Amino acid sequence: MDLSLAIFVQIIAAVLLIIALMVGNAVVMVYMERKVAGFIQRRPGPYEVGPWGTIQAICDSMKLLAKQLYRPGNVDLILYYLAPVLAFFPVLLLFLPIPFGPWLTALHINEGIVLILAFAGLGVLSNLLAGWASNNKFSLLGAARAVAQTVAYEIPMILALLAVVFLSGSMDLKRITEQQGQWPWEWNILLQPLAFFIYLVSLVGETNRAPFDLPEAESELTAGFHTEYSGMGFALFFLSEYANMLLVSFVAAVFFLGGYKGPIADGFWWLFIKAYAVMFFMVWIRWTFPRVRFDQLLNLNWKWLLPLGLLNLWATAIIMKIFL
Amino acid sequence: MNDLIGQVFNAIGALLADLEAWLSPYLPGQSKVALLAFGFYVLLLLGGGLTAILARNLVRATLGLIITFLGVAGFYLLLASPFLAMMQLLIYIGAVCVLIFFAIMLTKNTSDGEEASLPRLANLIYAFLAGLAPLVVAGPLIVQGTKDIVTRQPVDSGTNLGEGLLSIDLLSFELISIILLVAMAGAVYLAWRPSGGEERA
Repeated sequence: MDLSLAIFVQIIAAVLLIIALMVGNAVVMVYMERKVAGFIQRRPGPYEVGPWGTIQAICDSMKLLAKQLYRPGNVDLILYYLAPVLAFFPVLLLFLPIPFGPWLTALHINEGIVLILAFAGLGVLSNLLAGWASNNKFSLLGAARAVAQTVAYEIPMILALLAVVFLSGSMDLKRITEQQGQWPWEWNILLQPLAFFIYLVSLVGETNRAPFDLPEAESELTAGFHTEYSGMGFALFFLSEYANMLLVSFVAAVFFLGGYKGPIADGFWWLFIKAYAVMFFMVWIRWTFPRVRFDQLLNLNWKWLLPLGLLNLWATAIIMKIFL
Repeated sequence: MNDLIGQVFNAIGALLADLEAWLSPYLPGQSKVALLAFGFYVLLLLGGGLTAILARNLVRATLGLIITFLGVAGFYLLLASPFLAMMQLLIYIGAVCVLIFFAIMLTKNTSDGEEASLPRLANLIYAFLAGLAPLVVAGPLIVQGTKDIVTRQPVDSGTNLGEGLLSIDLLSFELISIILLVAMAGAVYLAWRPSGGEERA
């Protein structure tokens, strides 16, 4: 890739847009999560502030911005402040290789999915550092759980994505999109239903959301690794958690659901509709299933998802060798 | 609609190319930028290494190790191997360092442990000499063996890597797999307690 002013300007513009997307996504998701949770539990959800409670999320973000940053005693100063920053910044990079439309890719590289997986690893590091630096038993327990869980669920996730990479013969997100058609029966989900299922389960584990939200587990660990963070420190964790959700949903949409391709007209609107459908699914199961125990969580991963993922990969390779 | 967006992007790209041509005498060239990046990665490597050695706390030392790995990934980028650079991040930072952290958290981490005080001067000197050893062995080879700098076009490193691993380097690839398999079996054996046996310490 040649260095040029155009690419430089393109990346700066993309990063600005991604920050706007992250913040907007968090506001929309907070509202959606509360409303959906309300309807699932047969209560109205937020309805006081603004029409149907729509301004509630904005008011809450204002509150977080204005809140005092309280730092408990005996924390590891550098690591305590480094952790939320480290949670936030890698996420900006993760959105760069996503093809939003035929013309809308911030950084077109051949190994797009490897870039995403590589920098997603820094997220768990921030959870770890936050939990350790807080000098708090609950936080430390949450961090230890976050590590065991994320390291475990990364593997079936990669295996599921690898099956699609086998099919398309490319790790380039744009080429994977291009090889799928406009209509739902031309998408990879029909060719790789098991991989899609494995990916769906492991993305819930990877983003630490209920029923797999053991690192936070408010009924046993207060708030897990971010117990000691207030104000913007907490807000950065919160933003990056929702941004990670959006990212794994985008990847699901690109790999299995045809990306920006859709009936009538291709474009970023289809990618957003598909990604938010996956997000809605994540919110739905969060408020429907109770939290699993930690041994159940790890057993599900190592004894079911990992062998299934390997089997699926093997079957994909064999079938491709014989029939294609 | 999409064609329109594409045309707008192309127009902006052409405008920026004109601007670049006009500004080019004042912008740093490609080799300058590479040199700057090289300096930055060397700083990361040295700073991370020093942090790892001198930190009085295991977690901070591991953070130093992570910074060093970032520097190594940067060097892979400079060598036009983005695939290797990302694998470095994925495996060494995303898995190895995180597991080291996990091990640190599971052990008792007292503030008055052996690593809490600076080692004696003699130990520091020995460590420095030991660190110089690879330099003494490999340094002359590198300096004498390097004739000139070869500039290469960036290659699709993923494809080349895969083809290489399954053709000329097949034997070493399989040997590494066997070593890893043996290591894994050993780890399982060490951690294995038959059910009903004594509790793990």
